[in-house]
Amino acid sequence: MTAGDSIGPTSDSPFAVEAHQLVKRYGVVRAVEGVSFQVHRGEIFGFLGANGAGKTTTLRMLCGLVTPTSGTALIDGFDVFAQSTQAKSRLGYLDEEPFVHPHLTAREFLDYIADLYRMPRGLERQERMERLLHLFELADRDGELIGGYSHGMRQKIGLASLLIREPSVLLLDEPTNGLDPRSARLVKDLLEELAARGTTVLLSTHILEIAQALCRRVAIIDRGRIVATGTMKELAEQAGSEQASLEDLFLKLTAGPESKEMIDRLLAPAP
Amino acid sequence: MRTRTATEIIVRAELQAWRNRLIKRGPTRLALLVLFIIVAAVTIGGSVFSLGVASGHFLPTASDPLLAGGFTALSVLMLVVGFPTVIATLFVGRDLLQLALAPVHSFEILLARALIAMSANLLISGILLAGVLGIGAGAGAPPVYYLLAVALVFGQVLTITAFQAILMSFVLRWVPARIARDVAAAVAGLSGAAFYLVWNVSLRQAFSPHRQPDAANVAVFVERIDWLPSSWPGHALSATIAGSAGSAASWTLLEFGLGAGLIFIAGVLYRRTLLAGLGVFGGVPLRWRRASPESRRFGAGSGVGSPALAIARKDWLGYRRDIRRLARLLPAILFPIGYAVTFLRPSGGGGSFWSQVFLVSFIAMFMSTALATPSIPSERRGFQLLRMSPLSMGQIMRAKIALTLPPVLFLSVVFSVVLGLAGRSGAGQVLELAGLVTWLGVGFVAIGVSAGAIDPRFESTDDRRSVGLLGTLAGVGGALGFGVLSVGAFALLQLAPGAATGTAHLGPIPATPEVATVFGVAAILLAFGAGAVVSALLWIGHARLRGFDATISAT
Repeated sequence: MTAGDSIGPTSDSPFAVEAHQLVKRYGVVRAVEGVSFQVHRGEIFGFLGANGAGKTTTLRMLCGLVTPTSGTALIDGFDVFAQSTQAKSRLGYLDEEPFVHPHLTAREFLDYIADLYRMPRGLERQERMERLLHLFELADRDGELIGGYSHGMRQKIGLASLLIREPSVLLLDEPTNGLDPRSARLVKDLLEELAARGTTVLLSTHILEIAQALCRRVAIIDRGRIVATGTMKELAEQAGSEQASLEDLFLKLTAGPESKEMIDRLLAPAP
Repeated sequence: MRTRTATEIIVRAELQAWRNRLIKRGPTRLALLVLFIIVAAVTIGGSVFSLGVASGHFLPTASDPLLAGGFTALSVLMLVVGFPTVIATLFVGRDLLQLALAPVHSFEILLARALIAMSANLLISGILLAGVLGIGAGAGAPPVYYLLAVALVFGQVLTITAFQAILMSFVLRWVPARIARDVAAAVAGLSGAAFYLVWNVSLRQAFSPHRQPDAANVAVFVERIDWLPSSWPGHALSATIAGSAGSAASWTLLEFGLGAGLIFIAGVLYRRTLLAGLGVFGGVPLRWRRASPESRRFGAGSGVGSPALAIARKDWLGYRRDIRRLARLLPAILFPIGYAVTFLRPSGGGGSFWSQVFLVSFIAMFMSTALATPSIPSERRGFQLLRMSPLSMGQIMRAKIALTLPPVLFLSVVFSVVLGLAGRSGAGQVLELAGLVTWLGVGFVAIGVSAGAIDPRFESTDDRRSVGLLGTLAGVGGALGFGVLSVGAFALLQLAPGAATGTAHLGPIPATPEVATVFGVAAILLAFGAGAVVSALLWIGHARLRGFDATISAT
């Protein structure tokens, strides 16, 4: 049984994640301006954007950590703010800097998370914990506190803390950040397998190769607005170049000054 | 153009960050905050100033003991509650790592960070300053007195901060790294408590049951601490009032000489221990213990996991493993034990029943402040895990109250029973005292948790600074209001039976059954009022936590 099972059935919504006209303003700063998209059940959906484009703010609105100025966020059909218990029980969010308790060991932390979500104690839970620790190569780090972990290891324990409770929707903000190539590959394979088994994954990243390899559809956000949504083919059509790579499309859709021009300007001799 | 020193640059950056935090609040909240500060300054500062004026005017012979006692009290308080701040400011933080990498002399870092650490003591040193200025005004001191008072209060805070830095540096320099954290926690916990105990024993001796407390008696008590450097600024100021320029100059030179010496020693030691300190205090220890087969049994057992118990277990582990939290926890626990020891001495008495009431009230308030107030902000970034979990903020607050109550109630009740027995109170009075302390403990803990919920600063690495000004004022105000109303209700309930039987001496009020009834009703109303204070703060804290919408960056 997962935590989600105890709080009622999944709604009838065909979408696992729905963002409707999400807006977030901090005073005069417009972080997110009318972001809308839907993610189907069992889909890996890419959410791409440059630094500061509004990816993390959107994800945090979707998981209930940031209250939108306007708009609604639904998880499995449940409003993240109005029906927070139902929505949160189905949701797992991994921040780019995972939320962990530095003074706990990996096992203690997983146990803490499992209890927070009222998971039944017993052999099944214990075995799942051990399997996850082995999967992420943390099993032999007994007695080592999370505060002493490298960034990559904290990402791993963050992911393990989501997977221990089997949420139906995963919101992942740069999940491969700081991971070594082997672990990054493991995460990619794992996400594909989870999606195949029905878990919905919303993946925010600026590593375009990962998005291209994993995501069926992507949305590109630029300066707080969605500038394109669709499959790779649809995006290429939107950009008017069918042979273009995701990187080309991304650069075209989030147009700024050319990097060559900027480097030349930086390195130019002082007048 | 003059180049800024590193100390100036560091302090300036800190002030800018402080200014940005203030501006971020928005005009309405800023105005409310300013209003709060003005009200607090007028009520607390004004009261202390008035008391100072009265004592300076009417008790001219007591000026020296009062001033010396005031400065000693400030030192004791800083030693009791200030270590976590000193550790957090001098040895913890990514910004400190950045400074350690920069071409900046460690002495400049020490000076800048010591000034930042001192800011946490501004409130208590401000209260002392108000009293000191009041005494001067009451005694008709010359203008130089006021300038000297400001300089000496500042010097005293800097001296104690330097002394604390020296103690921590000693530990880092000469204690093996693997046990340095524990030894530092013990030193931090014990030094303030030990100083306080010595002071308290002197206080008990001076106020023994055979002597009535009066001004002369206060002088006897303070003479016992005359040798303590903490009293030197007081002597300098009283000599200024008396017009003894030579004596004033000597005490002032002694005080500033001691301060300069301690800062120099702290500077020398800090240069050698900054990096070690960053390793020992700055980060989490890499290992807590060796792997054990038991650790693989997490999640075993039966039934559904309990979030409240999970939070309790996590908090307990955090206390054991976080030096700063441990350093704060120890004095809170040692205080009641220390008090109990003091009162159990053969020569010691328990004092009157009413002095016992005030002592147990203070202990309950002190422990609640130390343990309950930082309980929510100490979640740090982990608070986001709680926000994302299906727990409501009400459940989280209830869990925090339930977790803090057992140690506070246990120690407070034990203390009140010991106090009652030592004071040869009857069984009834001991029970009444225990009942009062239970009521107070529950209320103070709820107020403490609410204060942390009202204005949490999750990014703070120091528990003492983990609650903002609004939360601190709400907590202090709420605790005072609740305490006064509760003790008032208790007093009325104590007096009511005597009034009913006509045996109570109530001054101009006649002791009649009608008056007893009025006392009873008033006591109930006061108790309701006290409950209302707690409920209001819980409600505000809950609403503020629900509305929490900020990012908590990694520190």
